[in-house]
Amino acid sequence: MSPVDRARPPLAGEVRDVRFPAFERARLANGLELYLARWPALPLVNLQLLMPAGARLDPPGAAGLASLHGGLLDEGTDRRTALDVASFIERLGGYLGTGADWDVAYLGATVLTAHLEAALELFADLARSSCFRAAEVDRARRHRLAEILRRKGQPAALADRFFSRVVYAGTVYAEPLIGTEESVRKLGRGDFESFFRRHASPSGGALLAVGDVDPATLARRAGEVFGDWQGAAAEPPAPVAPPPLDGLEIHVVDRPGSAQTQLQLGHLGIARNHPDQPEALLANVVLGGNFTSRLNLNLREKHGVTYGAHSQFVYRRESGPLVIRLAVATEAAAKAVREIVAEMRRLHEELVTAKELRETQDFLVGAFPTTLQTVSDLARRLETLAVFGMPDDYYQSFPALLRGLTAEGVRAAARRYLHPDGMAVVAVGPAAELRRQLEPVGPVTVHTP
Amino acid sequence: MTDVRPVALDVERHELGNGLRVVLHRDRSLPLVALNVWYHVGSRNESPGRTGFAHLFEHLLFQGSEHVGTNDHFRYVQQAGGTANGSTWYDRTTYHAVLPAHQLDLALWLESDRMGFFLPSITQEKLDNQREVVLNERRQRVENQPYGLAFERLHELLYAPGHPYRWPVIGYPDDLEAAGLDDVRAFFRRFYVPDNAVLTLAGDFGDDVTERIERYFGDVPAGAGAEPEPEPPPPRAGERRDALPDRVELARVYVAFQMPPFGTREWYAADLLATVLADGKSSLLYEDLVYHRQLAQDVGCFVLPTEIAATFAVTATAAAGGDPLELEEALCEHLAAVAASPPAARHLERARQRLLTVHFHQLQTLERRADLLSHFTTFFDAPERVGEEVRTYQELAADDLAALVAAHCPPDRRTVLTVVPERGEDGAAPAEPVAATGEEPA
Repeated sequence: MSPVDRARPPLAGEVRDVRFPAFERARLANGLELYLARWPALPLVNLQLLMPAGARLDPPGAAGLASLHGGLLDEGTDRRTALDVASFIERLGGYLGTGADWDVAYLGATVLTAHLEAALELFADLARSSCFRAAEVDRARRHRLAEILRRKGQPAALADRFFSRVVYAGTVYAEPLIGTEESVRKLGRGDFESFFRRHASPSGGALLAVGDVDPATLARRAGEVFGDWQGAAAEPPAPVAPPPLDGLEIHVVDRPGSAQTQLQLGHLGIARNHPDQPEALLANVVLGGNFTSRLNLNLREKHGVTYGAHSQFVYRRESGPLVIRLAVATEAAAKAVREIVAEMRRLHEELVTAKELRETQDFLVGAFPTTLQTVSDLARRLETLAVFGMPDDYYQSFPALLRGLTAEGVRAAARRYLHPDGMAVVAVGPAAELRRQLEPVGPVTVHTP
Repeated sequence: MTDVRPVALDVERHELGNGLRVVLHRDRSLPLVALNVWYHVGSRNESPGRTGFAHLFEHLLFQGSEHVGTNDHFRYVQQAGGTANGSTWYDRTTYHAVLPAHQLDLALWLESDRMGFFLPSITQEKLDNQREVVLNERRQRVENQPYGLAFERLHELLYAPGHPYRWPVIGYPDDLEAAGLDDVRAFFRRFYVPDNAVLTLAGDFGDDVTERIERYFGDVPAGAGAEPEPEPPPPRAGERRDALPDRVELARVYVAFQMPPFGTREWYAADLLATVLADGKSSLLYEDLVYHRQLAQDVGCFVLPTEIAATFAVTATAAAGGDPLELEEALCEHLAAVAASPPAARHLERARQRLLTVHFHQLQTLERRADLLSHFTTFFDAPERVGEEVRTYQELAADDLAALVAAHCPPDRRTVLTVVPERGEDGAAPAEPVAATGEEPA
């Protein structure tokens, strides 16, 4: 081999293509969609059962219902107590998680393949006959109330709480997914039982399995285990459509003596299955989606005022937000807000350079396989397809889709989906100092947590 | 026990003329390669008054080298479709990346350039900027986090003066301010040398990989040889306790002991015990304290995989309004019970199954495999031990756990730290117990 020329980066070798693994799709007569992928590297399988019982269905005044209902799905069935459920799965070495996000309730577990059959049987029991015993409901509610209390001490959680109130005023997203002290106190077992009957259904749900399994065999077993599971027809939740913000709405949450200020900025985002999503994604990566993004280079590497600044589109079936998060030295809070606004405007005005466009495409396309290594990585991708109703070949076509983007398209997406002139700005820290700094930037409202 | 065999990783080990140890693990299932360099230096090689330096130094190593521009390290890796990061701990500093397989040379070039050609690139401006970044990291991860200062305080109590695990990896702010360019140069010359490092590659690479490594790293000069480290002080005698007021709503208790280091049979017993005690809803502590008695919001137990001693701690966050003293007593009673009568077979069996699942789980990614291989090579010069851990857990018996607690967790050697809710400026009392309301009978 020739001696190494250190002066420039070495040339890349020959590219080996990565294909998103093939997976089986089927639909049971009761409406349950199946997504099954063989991934035989290790004797593991990841199993997920999604049901259309997300927090978007929380009735007014009952914030936290769906999420606590999801959390209670492993707390006992007609024939198993809460402790039976825990010891059944843990005896097999499995990790069981249950809960709900805005769109779905889920049961999830990773188990050794040798225990797949037992896990399937457990899932079927939990999905069909969870029973919400009073003692378990009481304990889970108390636990949740303490969790709500605990979050009051977390600057990032506080910032998120006020951010949602501002961006989603008047909608179901304005209240926290986990509920409030007031709403959770009022939830009783009758609420969970009726939520379970109405929404924990196969129709509108999906079973995902990834691992050392044979999809055809598993599809047959899923039919046997879940085929006679009947539930109510999925109810379409009410739309979430808050009006966009006009100007910068600055909210300071007083936390005297904080070592730092937690900032959260943003506004309504873009739907995961919108045709403009790839351009918006790329615009966001340039703005704040990876280490060399403009926000991080500006605020961390140039100004040294933060450990890191990140932005992302958060996806929900409807109206997820664009969120920019960072913790900054308090004396630099206003400066950080101004720099963020300026970086967003720059994306409206100037085209990203050809080099920047290519580097970002190379990053997104090249790094894709690094996020396909584990059974849960793959299950998460399948979940995206299932939850957002994406075409089955979406990930196969993803690299070509990204390669086709143009600087003009990215600027158009930035103009449509980044709103430096209509944002919520939440700052958690010492109020007096923050008000002084931020008043020249825009109108400030101060809150006590 | 399910008959599932641990994975035997295919591993080759080489050593370059300059002392760089190289571990190769081939797996071609995806066209990716994970690469890391472990330098055998961490916060334990610092001295009081200059704490946090190893970690600050790690930040500087991402600021370019003679042939790589200031912000170009991440840029090169990302545009190649890779991700990279670094991490500093008590005994080691690691630099890791995962890239598409055809970009292997880029990773070798970047790592060898900063191993061989770092010093010419370092400037006061870079040092000052990264010092500010690290001070902000400390504020974000430690000072402004609920319970964020607890771990630091726990180690100050647990380890005797002079023990190098006594100070926090991220360092004390005043010490960070004191670091200068001369410190940077001396640290690099002493510790960032090939004979103090391990390079591991895991993934898809060709048969010429050893030649490539030789090409990039072979001409980096060896260091002057390791200086002997002083023997660390033994575990402290006597109980130590402290209460740390913090801006939290729920109290938390830590009961900690010093254990034998990572790799010993006792260490694995401690890890198995941690799984028995607090991993999962059917673990001993969860069942008793969270489920039945409802004294705790959560429970935890861990032993750190460190090289010259290991921190073992049982922790619990109190339920709203819960009494930390009652919680402490409960934690100590559980430990005493293990010493008095070994845990039931079903608890042990459950823990072994969990650890078996964890074993496979962590071997899923090339990054994690490379990390484990470097860990075992840096500490023991024995990468093959990665596959042997599962067997060790299987061999340990309930009596071993009882003996471990009896030997290493006597009440007169415990360190107890309680984080207590600070009263607000308005004198408001901390959280009241949460009453169960609105519940109809079953």
